[in-house]
Amino acid sequence: MRLTRRVAVLAVASLTALVACAPGADSGSDDENVTLSVWGWGPEANYDKMFAEYTKDNPGVKVDARSFTTATEYDTILSTGLAGKDGPDVAWLRAGAPLQPLVAAGRLVPLDNSSVPGLADFNAGVLQGAKGDTDGKVYGVPFAIQTLHVIYNKKIFADNGIAPPKTWEDMIAAAQKLQAAKIVPFAVGGKDDWTLPIITSIFGTSRWGGDAFLDEVKAGKKTFADPNFVAGVDLVNQLKPYFPKDVAGVSYTDAQTLFSAGKAAMFPGGIWEVNFFRTNAPGLDLGTFSAPPPPGSVAGKALLPGFMDGSYGVSANSKHREEALKLLSWLASKKYGQLYTDTVVQFSAVPGVEPKDPILREVAGTYTSNGARYFMNEFAYGNPSSQTVFSAALQEMLLGRITAAQAAAKLDASVATWLKPR
Amino acid sequence: MAQAPVTTRGRGGRAGTWYLFLVPALLLYSLFVVYPLLTGLSYSVFSWKGTVRDAFVGVDNYVGLFTNEAFRSKLLPALGHNLALFAGTMLVQNTMGLAFALAFSRARRGKRALQIIFATPYLVNPLVIGYLWTLLLSPTFGPANTLLRAIGPDELAKPWLGDPSTALPMVILITTWQWVGFPMLLFSAAIGGIPAEYAEAARVDGASSWRVFWHITLPLLRPAIGTITVLSFIGSMNTFALVYALGGSSGGPAGSTDVLGLLFYRAAFASGDINAVGTASALAVFLFTFIFGTTILLNRILRQGEEAM
Repeated sequence: MRLTRRVAVLAVASLTALVACAPGADSGSDDENVTLSVWGWGPEANYDKMFAEYTKDNPGVKVDARSFTTATEYDTILSTGLAGKDGPDVAWLRAGAPLQPLVAAGRLVPLDNSSVPGLADFNAGVLQGAKGDTDGKVYGVPFAIQTLHVIYNKKIFADNGIAPPKTWEDMIAAAQKLQAAKIVPFAVGGKDDWTLPIITSIFGTSRWGGDAFLDEVKAGKKTFADPNFVAGVDLVNQLKPYFPKDVAGVSYTDAQTLFSAGKAAMFPGGIWEVNFFRTNAPGLDLGTFSAPPPPGSVAGKALLPGFMDGSYGVSANSKHREEALKLLSWLASKKYGQLYTDTVVQFSAVPGVEPKDPILREVAGTYTSNGARYFMNEFAYGNPSSQTVFSAALQEMLLGRITAAQAAAKLDASVATWLKPR
Repeated sequence: MAQAPVTTRGRGGRAGTWYLFLVPALLLYSLFVVYPLLTGLSYSVFSWKGTVRDAFVGVDNYVGLFTNEAFRSKLLPALGHNLALFAGTMLVQNTMGLAFALAFSRARRGKRALQIIFATPYLVNPLVIGYLWTLLLSPTFGPANTLLRAIGPDELAKPWLGDPSTALPMVILITTWQWVGFPMLLFSAAIGGIPAEYAEAARVDGASSWRVFWHITLPLLRPAIGTITVLSFIGSMNTFALVYALGGSSGGPAGSTDVLGLLFYRAAFASGDINAVGTASALAVFLFTFIFGTTILLNRILRQGEEAM
């Protein structure tokens, strides 16, 4: 009997905990003090700090930020939250494909220049990721731009007499030199296959010609079976000897550890890694470079792929639509943009914001002159999504089971199931 | 059963009340089992716009599962991996469980302690276990490979979870590591229920230990074996958390640990498809029907075997 009672107590306790965790229970109801709840996937502490600034300027409005850190779960949590009464007033929206089900379900308030004046100044390419595909309306205020490049350990480079490579041959020579010194040249974690389109983009974008190629695919003039795209994918194969041994068995976190422990010299990845390495390995002196153009490069110069990461949208169910739109106007302002880039150490999507961080400044300069669109984010539609299909195909390629041409053919076949050339 | 006087007064006075006792359980069962099953079924015959139900489409979602190349090409391999897991579980986990149960049944001391030690891992969440084994087997930092390199040639060290040929066997071994205590406990209970006289009589007649096991213990364990077979089958068909933790949502490396549960997960949660709810519900109904049907069939075959004895 004692056991049953203990179980009952436990059950009651966990129920109470559940109820206490129920999201958005107090979305604020008295007129004087409005609490806007904001859901997102970033670290909460950062957002509490930024939104405190908003409350300072707008007394009476509190912003309650809640973070759901894991990638795929967030989409489910958000679509359920927006469908019910206790969802957020303002939510982070993913860019492109994952946004579309929410738009189709009518869960979001369409925005325009009159409801959110700041939108007018945003770069059209950046806004594209916050649009509904069928109606062309904007549903969110973009907050971040992510860039993809090679992050390198300046000390290891200096110790081995290596400078950031200007040509593909330089890069291969550097990799060979590092390998001879028993240092892993590129920390790549091929076990977590979602990282592989990123790696492919970092090394291949210049080879297939960046944005021009993507536009031709969208227009139905070219496909992913194009020899230039295949050659770009094959670059990853050619670099495989310089990845960790058995790269398809090395996890993403292993790759991060190799780099932060100083056992690997370069980490091909997104700008978000910089903040991670700074926090976890404060001693590292970091630099970045864009992969130099490989032989046969269509673009003929190093390209820096990037993408709009997410945007702030307003729930159609929000009881405080007016206040939420006002918050969005602030989120579209330079003040927030500056606050964002200084707090999170990532690029703000707000136009004209200058990051203070030296690495960010350096990358920002290159992005303005050599920026390109990250191919995978624009081709992530379908069920199973073309991103899932291509990630798995790239892993098979690294295992030596299929060629670059076969991997590209899989992406092509998947894209053909949903792409309607315009 | 000796102290069950319920039926002594006949059914008369109690006929009206007995079913009331079923109501609480029936309510819970309807709410948490029947209702979700029926909603899943209803979801699968509609098309969806995000979480908003759209038009009635009949069997279109089901047809899509078999006409969409990307699903069709994954469905059979995934099913194959589930069945391989079942076979592996039967061969490795349940055989070992039986061996441990037999060994412990003869132990004079420490039987309880050993049983508890062997059964402990199944109290841990499979996600945690998957994470721990990923660390142990990591080709770069894992202690397993460091150990193998220390005791043998370098070729012994392998990316156990990163090589398509070893990944699924590793999943079977890790599942065994976690669950071996379960068949062990069931077999221990069943062995405890076999009267010792049978074995003694056989030994008096000159039977070896092996013959006693083969002709007396094993046949009398048939009901337990049947139960474990069915439970292993359901467990293997529904496996998700461990493979997710070991190989990610795509069942890596190169889909070598892809199972039906992951296929459903990707269809439901990892696609930007507007009709994801419809497609995923159709897949779920299909999987449920398949697993339910096979389980009933399996159960019937095992029963017939028992009755034939």
